[in-house]
Amino acid sequence: MKNNKFKLHYLFMLILVCTLISCDNDDDDDIIITTGTVEQTTTTSEDTTSDDDSSIDDDTATVIPETYVFERNGESTLSYSGQTTRLNQSNELYSALNDNVASLADLNLMFQGDDSGSSGGFSDETLNGTSKIIGSKTSASTLRGDALTKAQFVQWLTDYTTDIIPNWVSDASEGNAGQYGNYHFTANGHEIDQLFFKGLIGAFCLDQIVNNYIHPNQLDSGTRTEDNTNELLSGDNNYTDMEHKWDEGFGYLYGQIADVTLNNGLPADGESSGNLLMKYFKKVEENYDPGIAKRVYDAFIAGRSAIVSKDYVEREVQAKIIKQELSKAVGQYAVHYLSSAYENYNGGADDIRDAFHGLSEGYGFVLSLQFTNDGNDEPYFTKEEVDAYLLQLENFYTLEANTILEMHDEIKSRFGI
Amino acid sequence: MKKIFAIILISFLLSCSTDSESESNNLLLEESFDRQAMLVNLTENIIVPSLTILDSKLSDLRNKLDVFTSDTSLASLLSLRTSFVDAYKSWQYVEMFNIGKAEEIYYAQKMNVYPSNVDRIDSNTYKSDLDLDAGRNEFSAQGFPAVDFLLYGIAESDSEIISKFTEENGRYLSYLNTVIDKMISNTTLVLNDWMDNKTEFVNSFDNNAASSLNMLVNDYVYYYEKGLRTNKFGIPAGRWALKRSQNVEAFYAKTLSKTLATEALKACRNFFTGTGLVSNQIQGDSFKTYLEFLEESNEISNEILNSFDNSQAKMELLQDNFYHIVENDNIKLLEVFQKLQEGVILLKTDMISIMDISVDYMDADGD
Repeated sequence: MKNNKFKLHYLFMLILVCTLISCDNDDDDDIIITTGTVEQTTTTSEDTTSDDDSSIDDDTATVIPETYVFERNGESTLSYSGQTTRLNQSNELYSALNDNVASLADLNLMFQGDDSGSSGGFSDETLNGTSKIIGSKTSASTLRGDALTKAQFVQWLTDYTTDIIPNWVSDASEGNAGQYGNYHFTANGHEIDQLFFKGLIGAFCLDQIVNNYIHPNQLDSGTRTEDNTNELLSGDNNYTDMEHKWDEGFGYLYGQIADVTLNNGLPADGESSGNLLMKYFKKVEENYDPGIAKRVYDAFIAGRSAIVSKDYVEREVQAKIIKQELSKAVGQYAVHYLSSAYENYNGGADDIRDAFHGLSEGYGFVLSLQFTNDGNDEPYFTKEEVDAYLLQLENFYTLEANTILEMHDEIKSRFGI
Repeated sequence: MKKIFAIILISFLLSCSTDSESESNNLLLEESFDRQAMLVNLTENIIVPSLTILDSKLSDLRNKLDVFTSDTSLASLLSLRTSFVDAYKSWQYVEMFNIGKAEEIYYAQKMNVYPSNVDRIDSNTYKSDLDLDAGRNEFSAQGFPAVDFLLYGIAESDSEIISKFTEENGRYLSYLNTVIDKMISNTTLVLNDWMDNKTEFVNSFDNNAASSLNMLVNDYVYYYEKGLRTNKFGIPAGRWALKRSQNVEAFYAKTLSKTLATEALKACRNFFTGTGLVSNQIQGDSFKTYLEFLEESNEISNEILNSFDNSQAKMELLQDNFYHIVENDNIKLLEVFQKLQEGVILLKTDMISIMDISVDYMDADGD
């Protein structure tokens, strides 16, 4: 009896919901935009690069700047020093994972901070004693963060100090960690610094950008939308929280670039591109997809402008471009390294160990795939799929060429590259 | 039936083409689920009984402490500890209601911030003008974590602990009395506040930032994320930083962490389903039925229930001593964390957006 009543209840409710949705064609849209937006934006990247859209907004026709420069009352509103700090920390951690002097405690300190939650262990003193810690942002987004993936990075630090360093000059062979040429492999042929750093490209940089900072989970958290609409600044700062979150996303890609107004934000001639996402983003621009640098840079600018002009629909359109383009860049380098590994495994290498360095990079990029975002907040590859791939890549000595090829083909096809 | 449905649907579609009636449609929608009844159920069937049970468990703790004070025997210490465990378990059903008086007096912080600050506890035992309400620094010197330290951690063995209580003018024993009295008086304040204001509370069923419904949803999700996931698992297991074995709940009792976490998860599940603690575990309207009402299917509410089950299943595999797990195999705790995280996404992203409520706390991100 109660059940029947309940069903009627539902039916009635369903009808009401339908009618509400059908009536919902007035100008209140932005208020309820936060969650449903992504599906609704059918605009593609090609037809949003022009700034025509913003002129439709008759009240404030914001001019979209050419470069990532934003000011309020003549002062810059940009701040992403926390990202710069972490990226700079990563340079020193990378060096430590290419040397045989660090203890596990040293590496843990650099990656995870000290007991009190402060950063430490870096020779550049400005990187110590801060709340900026790479490990706290590794596999950490609400959308895709996974505690066990994070734990894998910590485990690699242990492996490095227990397997790699003690066998620094032994010959690497199946079942025995050691050296081969300039590289140091685990008993399975893994080069840990490459697993770690190519993994961070997805788990740290990409994840923080596409699944955290430019996502409504951050941008619209708490009262941020309302505050941005009212131009309520964050504390003593010259920015609203929403502006700042977007900039922090920007910082995870461009945070080490001295002058982001040049060259579509890419490093200037001779300037380092670091060891993380920017390094490969630049390579994609140069080797595979010329134009991607401008598309992403422009989308960051247009999205930031949209925040300034309180156009949250447009913001999501631009966020979607960034999500897809950066995800494809990571997919591109997974394909790149699997492709060369396949050549090596398919008779190209005299000694199979010649393939391990590049395949270790490939391993890290494959791990990174779970942090991609297809623009609708789904990854191109789920964690389950990635874990299955990584299991196949568990032992480089026994790996077969066809396994690599199948993986390569699937990734290539899913990204449409 | 289908025809009726179609007719009604069409008539509604037609009616709204006249526009500007979304206001009245909203009213209709609101009336078709009795949010007030939900608040009544959650208040009368869960919140108030949970506090009442805690209150009586604390009275029992008080009685056992009186016995121990007059007879510092091993038997009375053990009986005191049993009573402490019972009270600590019942606390797990209360921590999430950080509303009204509880929020005002920092009730949750005064009851369960861990790890306890043993240096401060030690220096507090010498203070003649001790004021546990003096500020934030006193949070970690009182409540259950302080009692945990006093009953299990002031010395190595039980006999040494008993000696400690009688030594130095019984400074530890008198501090234990002070702390437990404070827990009782704070609980009384909160319980009385509920009794005085619950009518007003259940009448505030609108969906706006200040409404009871909104606060309750937010507090619930916040507790699930921070109180349960982060504090009991994430921080000790090193989800974001170095693992911290001293940060497990009930660090000194050693084998209590799993019990408390299990109770906390059960409390979250019960609250979601509107299941009362007492009187035959009556189920009434709850977040679950509200969600099912708002959804066109039961998809999200079923996913949430599954997620509770998954977390519980992972939790059951753990050994009792979380300190030991963190030290030796913290992945086990991270596995539970990850299951709880799936619940966070469902509650904080899916449920809250279906309810059209905004999250009132920011994601702290340390940048």
